Amino acid sequence: MGEVIVITSGKGGVGKTTTAANIGTGLALEGKSVVLLDADIGLRNLDVVMGLENRIVYDLVDVVEGICRMKQALIKDKRYTNLYLMPAAQTKDKNAVNPEQMLKLTKDLAEEFDYVLVDCPAGIEQGFKNAIAGANRSIVVTTPEVSAVRDADRIVGLLEAHGLRNPQLIINRVKIDMVRRGDMMNIDDMVDILAIDLLGVIPDDEYIVISTNRGEPAISDSKSLAGQAYKNIVKRILGENVPFMNLDPEEGFMAKLAKAFGFRRK
Amino acid sequence: MKDNAIVFKGTKEGLYIVLKEEMDFEDILQQLEEKIKPSKKFFEGAKITNLKGKRLTPKEFEELVGVLENQYDMEYLGDYESLYSYVNGVKEEDKNRLNQVQITNQNNGQEEKAFFVKGTVRSGQLIKSDGNIIILGDVNPGAYLEAVGSIMVMGNMRGIAHSGTQGDYNTFIAAFRLEPMQLRIGDIITRSPDGKKYKSEVPEMAVVRRGMIIVEPIWGRNS
Ligand SMILES: Nc1ncnc2c1ncn2[C@@H]1O[C@H](COP(=O)(O)OP(=O)(O)O)[C@@H](O)[C@H]1O
Ligand SMILES: [Mg+2]
Repeated sequence: MGEVIVITSGKGGVGKTTTAANIGTGLALEGKSVVLLDADIGLRNLDVVMGLENRIVYDLVDVVEGICRMKQALIKDKRYTNLYLMPAAQTKDKNAVNPEQMLKLTKDLAEEFDYVLVDCPAGIEQGFKNAIAGANRSIVVTTPEVSAVRDADRIVGLLEAHGLRNPQLIINRVKIDMVRRGDMMNIDDMVDILAIDLLGVIPDDEYIVISTNRGEPAISDSKSLAGQAYKNIVKRILGENVPFMNLDPEEGFMAKLAKAFGFRRK
Repeated sequence: MKDNAIVFKGTKEGLYIVLKEEMDFEDILQQLEEKIKPSKKFFEGAKITNLKGKRLTPKEFEELVGVLENQYDMEYLGDYESLYSYVNGVKEEDKNRLNQVQITNQNNGQEEKAFFVKGTVRSGQLIKSDGNIIILGDVNPGAYLEAVGSIMVMGNMRGIAHSGTQGDYNTFIAAFRLEPMQLRIGDIITRSPDGKKYKSEVPEMAVVRRGMIIVEPIWGRNS
């Protein structure tokens, strides 16, 4: 049985889909078999980020409704043979499926794959309940903003209430020049408030936008800072101990930053 | 029902009193006594900024203020003229945000119960108890605590805490680090100042004095 990991946030636009695409690709790069499950029914875009949108014939709702077999709705990635996507339906809404159906679907997928990554819609309604139904592990994405952290906190509470005990935190879009000026929300404060384990910190990186538009996740490009940060996250998911950030004021800025994103100093 | 003939409400500047429209003045005076007497010490020195609701005649006004100031050591700020030129133009804000609770003395000599919660109380979560609440962990912004009795947070209290929800001013809200969005004791409300975030350095507790919520260190205070 594979692991079902839901990627969630509460607030929209903080990088769930970007994170699902990159972690999925990263796990596939490490030789794992992976399926990306787009649970954002009605607003799908994981297919676009993966550059697979023109291959969609069947989707998640078709599988749940028995219109097609599970395998027919799995789209094989164009670069990695062990990476698949099951797209969301675009013309239906979140009520087209229920949590029991999602539980069954993710269970069936976990029989076939090492990792099932579920890209969760924003909000705490039906779509959220669907997305977490079959998960046995969860990742909460936030940006260093008070409103995003507040929503993340709400989500952690809901995940815990649902039995997902140890969500892990990704802080996305950390702006390097704001770190330098000391204007950014302190990472330690965020981790302190949310009181969950930090899985990684992703810098704000225009390469993400470029790669998203190209349909090629940033993790596959060694020039991308964010891609490097996602690589470290993938290693941590696989249980490797990659060094963490340390906001020690005694350290120089570059050392701090290098540490923040888990780079080794030359 | 004579119960809510008068209601005290707290603002940053002080208390105001809402007088129920259809009540006789005699009933109002009587209720004032019933409400304040048992909680007299909480009101000593309180500043009354306003009277709302039933419009009083000048004579009634004088009598009421006389009672407040002489019997209960409160202070009424303002005069009859400014009161009614002001009240008429103002809508009763915050009406729904407050429970209009009665002041009663509670738990005197009675057994008290406490509700324990271990772990972080997160945004959107509400912990309610008809006794006291003790949190072994942090209370995050956007989380709510509501206790008929007192509240103790063994961690950071950054949310909204309401003690004495049935009007007991004897209750308190204490925390290892008290950095709340808002505190309510009985029907008195206080909130954190806007702008720069308040950082608590020592364990503190919020209590009612002079009709206002004040925050003071739990240890090392004189009283
Ligand atoms: N680290 C980053 N640096 C720069 N842009 C980012 C980063 N992460 C996400 N974005 C951009 O933010 C937008 C929202 O991201 P997305 O992953 O779709 O969020 P969500 O799925 O949470 O709604 C996208 O345009 C994406 O390209
Ligand atoms: Mg998305």
